Amino acid sequence: MQEVELREALRQAIDEEMTKDDTVFVLGEEVGEYNGAYKVTKGLLDKWKEKRIIDTPISENGFTGLAIGAAMTGLRPIVEFMSFNFSFVAADQIISNACKQYYMSGGRFSVPIVFRGPNGAAAQVSCQHSHCVESIYGNLPGLKVVCPSNAYDAKGLLKSAIRDNNPVLFLENELLYGQKMEIPEEEYLVPIGQAKVIEEGTDVTLISYSRMLTFCLEASKKLKEKNIHVEVIDLRTIKPLDIATVSKSIKKTNRCVLVEEGHIFSGICAEVGFQITENCFDYLDAPVKRVCQKETPLPYSKVLERQSQPTTERILEALNEVLT
Amino acid sequence: MCAQENITYNFFQTDRKKVLETLGKEKLIEALRKMLLIRNFEVRAESAYQMGKVGGFFHSYIGQEAIQTSCTMALGDKHYYTTTYRCHALALLLGVTPDEVMAELYGKVTGNAKGRGGSMHLYSDRLLGGFGIVGGHVPVATGAGFTLKYKNLNDLISLCFMGDGAVVQGAVHESLNLASLWNLPCLYVIENNQWGMGTAVSRAVCHQPIAENLAKGYGIKGYTIDGMDYLTCYDAFSSFYKEILETKKPILVEALTERFKGHSISDPGLYRSKETLEEAKKKDPIIRFKHDLLENNIITEDEFKEMDKELRNIAVKSMEYAENSPDPDPITLEDDVFAP
Repeated sequence: MQEVELREALRQAIDEEMTKDDTVFVLGEEVGEYNGAYKVTKGLLDKWKEKRIIDTPISENGFTGLAIGAAMTGLRPIVEFMSFNFSFVAADQIISNACKQYYMSGGRFSVPIVFRGPNGAAAQVSCQHSHCVESIYGNLPGLKVVCPSNAYDAKGLLKSAIRDNNPVLFLENELLYGQKMEIPEEEYLVPIGQAKVIEEGTDVTLISYSRMLTFCLEASKKLKEKNIHVEVIDLRTIKPLDIATVSKSIKKTNRCVLVEEGHIFSGICAEVGFQITENCFDYLDAPVKRVCQKETPLPYSKVLERQSQPTTERILEALNEVLT
Repeated sequence: MCAQENITYNFFQTDRKKVLETLGKEKLIEALRKMLLIRNFEVRAESAYQMGKVGGFFHSYIGQEAIQTSCTMALGDKHYYTTTYRCHALALLLGVTPDEVMAELYGKVTGNAKGRGGSMHLYSDRLLGGFGIVGGHVPVATGAGFTLKYKNLNDLISLCFMGDGAVVQGAVHESLNLASLWNLPCLYVIENNQWGMGTAVSRAVCHQPIAENLAKGYGIKGYTIDGMDYLTCYDAFSSFYKEILETKKPILVEALTERFKGHSISDPGLYRSKETLEEAKKKDPIIRFKHDLLENNIITEDEFKEMDKELRNIAVKSMEYAENSPDPDPITLEDDVFAP
């Protein structure tokens, strides 16, 4: 085993896949000479040179479309967005070209491409750098959406994403890059589309993904002191959604709370919650509750930022409601 | 508001006689056949639309045939091609059969994209698509150029056709910057048919000539060509291709042309006077090319009529093929959203 930061796990995934397949390359802002805005691509330019680690101008629409064209013609690009908020500049390329191409062309052109970078809020980066994009892109048939919460999953899922023949949005989190974890030295993959029970319990199911799991685990710990056992599920992949793992858990616990860093309206919780009613309505002993971001652009002020986002306290409140 | 009234072009100059001689009878007749196939196909497809057989949008290439025909004849079908939603012609030129294109317009399972793309989304091994968002395909074409450079496929280039309406899209400018910055083998062809839907080009583009001026800002070569003249276009595209291989830089071309139909089939073209349209039709590239061939005794009037009739029959037959083809099975609706 090796103890690595999540950013290093991502770097290893990229490096290993680049070694395996010479059509894999990285492009994005500051990925080369600067070693990545968050140092995920540190050292890769030295190793792979300018041909495969490509610094782009600040031109998201252009370089995203370029990468899609490269993917359609036989390469496997990894596009880094310095923040997924900048993917909005390239939304036409992602939505109209990457996600629809395989279907629209009657299966003639696939788009094997990974879009990766930090998603959601960091520490007080304010309204235009804090948006969670998963529910926006989750609404588009043809895209896969992956949200790892730890270094092990991040590495295994990124390797799967690079090998996938479809566009994959790989959503990281700035505040998790430095999180350390022991991961295997040897190669491994984590398949896309599989949720994971990260803490077993019998009384209530708590579902989330990415950074919000930190708060979920804190809430679970607090309830354990009261002898209440929470089953915590990490979705890991938003789309395709592993509703089977979710349903199985709810059929056991009969209660459920969903937590999402992004906005409540039309969010991931709305979707998963609805699928829960479709799949296990008869097993529910209480209405499903959700804890999400309030309906405001995410403000700068530390106080307001915390007020807008899910917290351990808000999660505990929701858990207590479904448990009574 | 019009930005400019008088525009001075530096047209690409061609010794037409010499091109005619170099090409020889066989290639000239092949080119005429291709242009006549496009013309006949578009006419029949439009009639199918009027009959209610074709739905959605329909953008005719009539009037612009010389440009893509000459380009594909000069460069061949090994390069990457990317174009707009006005894509029936390029598909036919790159070897997609009239049956396959017509069946796609009819939304049939035998269609070019299994009835999923329709009129605006046609493909071949080397045609990355008709694309539906104005200017949105230009970065994709640039990416094909990137692949060619990445794989050291040094004799191939990526060709990108766009309309004059696309020129003011950011995606186009970002592409030109990237292609020049990274020395990508791309040939961008602006088919200036004078109208972005119902908006005259002078009401949309602040400075013309488009390519000659725009290219300077990106440190690349820009050319204007007479897009209504097959011989000039053929010579120009051959020359641009050589120049890209030599200089390793992209090139931006403005081909001045006219579409004889509305922007799409539902456009009666009320913004354009009858006189203007009649004037435009005098420049018909097929008539001009036919005259060249008649004058040089390469073809007779009767042979032309015979060829036209033969191609009309091919177009009519493609309608029969499409009509008799099955619809996609509803059970396949959710297939192929993801590649395996």
